[in-house]
Amino acid sequence: MKKEELFAKLRANTHDQFDMPDMHVQALKYADTLQQFIAMTKSSGGKAIRLKRDADLNVAVAEAYPDAKVIASNLPGIKADRNPDLVEDARDLNGTDVGVIRGEIGVAENACIWIPQTMKEKAVCFISENLVILLDEADVVDNMHEAYARIKMTDYGFGTFISGPSKTADIEQALVMGAQAARSVTVFLLS
Amino acid sequence: MKVGLFIPCYVDALYPHVGVATSKLLHYLGVDATYPHGQTCCGQPMANAGFEKMSRPLVEKFERTFKDFDYVVIPSVSCAAFVRFNYPKILEHCKVSEKVYDVVEFLHDILKVKALPGKFPHVVSVHNSCHGVRELGLSSPSELPGPRFNKIIDLLHLVSGITVKEPERPDECCGFGGMFAVEEPDVSKRMGEDKLAEHIATGAEYITGPDCSCLMHLQGVARKEHKNIKFKHVVEILAAGL
Amino acid sequence: MSTLHAKRAREFLKDPAKITHHDQTFWGMRMSRDKMVTQIPEWEELRDKASEIKRHTITHLADYLEEFSDHLEKNGVHVLWARDAKEFNQMVLKILTDHHVKKMVKSKSMMTEECGMNDFLKARGIDVVETDLGERILQLMHLKPAHIVVPAIHITRQQVAHTFEEKGMSQEEGNDDPTYLTRCARNSLRSEFLEAGAGMTGCNFGVAKTGDVVVCTNEGNADMATSMPKLHIVAMGLEKVIPDYASLAFFQRLLCRSATGQPTTTYTSHFRKPRPGGEMYVILIDNGRSDFIANPDHWETLKCIRCGACMNTCPVYRRSTGYSYSFFIPGPIGIDLGMLKDPKANSGNVSACSLCLSCDEVCPVHVNPGSQIYLWRQQLDHFGTANSEKKLMSWGMARVYNNYFMYDTALKMAPLLNHVPEAIIGNPKWSPWCVGHKMPVFVRKPFHVIEKDLEKEYGKESTTKL
Repeated sequence: MKKEELFAKLRANTHDQFDMPDMHVQALKYADTLQQFIAMTKSSGGKAIRLKRDADLNVAVAEAYPDAKVIASNLPGIKADRNPDLVEDARDLNGTDVGVIRGEIGVAENACIWIPQTMKEKAVCFISENLVILLDEADVVDNMHEAYARIKMTDYGFGTFISGPSKTADIEQALVMGAQAARSVTVFLLS
Repeated sequence: MKVGLFIPCYVDALYPHVGVATSKLLHYLGVDATYPHGQTCCGQPMANAGFEKMSRPLVEKFERTFKDFDYVVIPSVSCAAFVRFNYPKILEHCKVSEKVYDVVEFLHDILKVKALPGKFPHVVSVHNSCHGVRELGLSSPSELPGPRFNKIIDLLHLVSGITVKEPERPDECCGFGGMFAVEEPDVSKRMGEDKLAEHIATGAEYITGPDCSCLMHLQGVARKEHKNIKFKHVVEILAAGL
Repeated sequence: MSTLHAKRAREFLKDPAKITHHDQTFWGMRMSRDKMVTQIPEWEELRDKASEIKRHTITHLADYLEEFSDHLEKNGVHVLWARDAKEFNQMVLKILTDHHVKKMVKSKSMMTEECGMNDFLKARGIDVVETDLGERILQLMHLKPAHIVVPAIHITRQQVAHTFEEKGMSQEEGNDDPTYLTRCARNSLRSEFLEAGAGMTGCNFGVAKTGDVVVCTNEGNADMATSMPKLHIVAMGLEKVIPDYASLAFFQRLLCRSATGQPTTTYTSHFRKPRPGGEMYVILIDNGRSDFIANPDHWETLKCIRCGACMNTCPVYRRSTGYSYSFFIPGPIGIDLGMLKDPKANSGNVSACSLCLSCDEVCPVHVNPGSQIYLWRQQLDHFGTANSEKKLMSWGMARVYNNYFMYDTALKMAPLLNHVPEAIIGNPKWSPWCVGHKMPVFVRKPFHVIEKDLEKEYGKESTTKL
């Protein structure tokens, strides 16, 4: 079907038209935005750890995941075994124990963290058994209206909000962490 | 105020004591209520079954009968809701739809009754009929946020000695639905059984609600299951002693 | 007088314990949703505005689709327009064969279900692997989804364990622990993700202003499906487009809370461009939507964001299960969509509603699915699918009600029914009422007779006669 044909048909078949509403809404704000974010991260199945920005993140990763053998990251300063910028193929990232990635905005109402793609292979965000997400405390907002007003895409043209580990309740409604993607998520809240 | 009383077809035929209670209560409260003789039905059963056009003559008759009253009071939320919301779509320039009130609404919002003479020292479980909850606003729908309210319960509490309960799912449908009960008899039966079980679980001796069609359905199920629980329309309890 | 839904429901209701479990499962989801709602004071405002955003977008759909596709194309995404299911399936096949793809992984898409894509491709030698756990289980069991969000909710863990063992996905015979089974699926699907030549996703929202395809999942399977294979195909219904990010915020906040009672899906992914070295196709599908929009009573069905809240709250769905409906989407919205798509084929679902209107209250975008069912009922006669016995009953009632003499006489005679033996009057074969009820008792003195005595009691003059 040609799109012009479709557009003509849609226009011909539309009777009344309606305007956009006033988009302003008095949306949920929290007395302590950061505490709410931390609480929601926990209830989404994730963990939030507060660290100083100058903390040794590699030590923190090792403490969070002592059994991890393979780390993947392209972040400067992170000791990684694999670099999602440099791998030949996304599949080479399979078997990663911990992926360390950067989050730009945190959302208190639902523990979502906006992660724009900043590496050649975004697979690192999903294929890693565990995820560590670095997020500045100052970048946590109350709700999705605020988040969507701020998020930016990179040239890669992909970004995702991640809230806690991958999960499913498809078998008899029993909640299981670690469906197809990360089995655990640890957020390093930096200040 | 000139008040017209409409007694639905099935109340006329099966539960006239509900009509009597309504009439007596209004009389006691000093309301000059008139029952125009020759009434039959508001037209809802045919419309809900999908034959709204068949209701038109009844809609016209209702309009003729009641358009000059200040208020029309009906002891049935489903009929009141049908007149209020569906009549304007069936009949152009319908006047009566704005005047019609279910008896609970009328007592609570218009007369603002604050005292009742009766005693009803029993445990009752309130059946919040769907039309009452979601169309007439007799109680806060459980689906929506906001402060909880229930006009039926407010009025019941004016009757001394009463203990009021609600089932765990306070406003889930009983499964009557008019023709639904005969077109989907198995689902209707199951819904009725589940609802009845919840009412019984409150420990109530009576199930009470603002619509006899729901009560009729639950009573039919109860009798089939040989359950002893009793049924009264809300207005019967409010008119206790009259 | 039995409709398709009523007949099928009867069969399912023969297993009362199973129906209890089904009912409680979905009531639980409704409760979870309610809990979320109490935490959002602005909930009603979100619903109202989301509804208006949709009304605006749908009534300017061509403009937004144009904007959306322009951005996509500028970003290097191929945009195709499919008139119907047949065209969509052919397009997908062509893309896959052109790229020599033999295996495609896909995340959940009701759109592909609507088009029957899986069977179409399978018959032509393409291995389509569902990666949503529920959909994958159903695929392996050759069953259809019973719900649009939790499609396999009716499958027991034992059934899953048995299936996984059969397929070699589970090595521990008899182990039906959900965590263990999920791990089995994870391992099995991990290979599929790694081997697949293409990944297909649906689209929850298409952002016109930026050309973002937004996909929401809890499992991350849409992301896995699009992070390894270099070919990404998006199956998107026309009505999924929304204006901008500010609009998206409303829908993102409403969707998962309404669907499962979670504050968000784990992943809300925005796809704007193909992967480095990859290709991305967005196929926009009409399949009747450009006709639905012309229907003055029902065009607002297009606002639906496929959350499933209406079916979770529907007391009829909960007690009859998704397989009682003739359309691939069950529950209130399924009745409406089925009637839009093929009224003659799907009229048998329209009985599946007691008009309780709970669905109207939970719908995040005010589709008012229950109110629409009332309207569809009025049209069955026009489609020639009205139940003739119900019509006769209604006609009969109308006749009696319109003739006071007949009405009065009927009421005078009715008490005779009280004396008819139970075996006859209470027989479900003659009286569907008696499937579940004992007959009510007809009174000797109806209200309109008693009323005359009341008037005397009050000392009134004779009242207005009609």
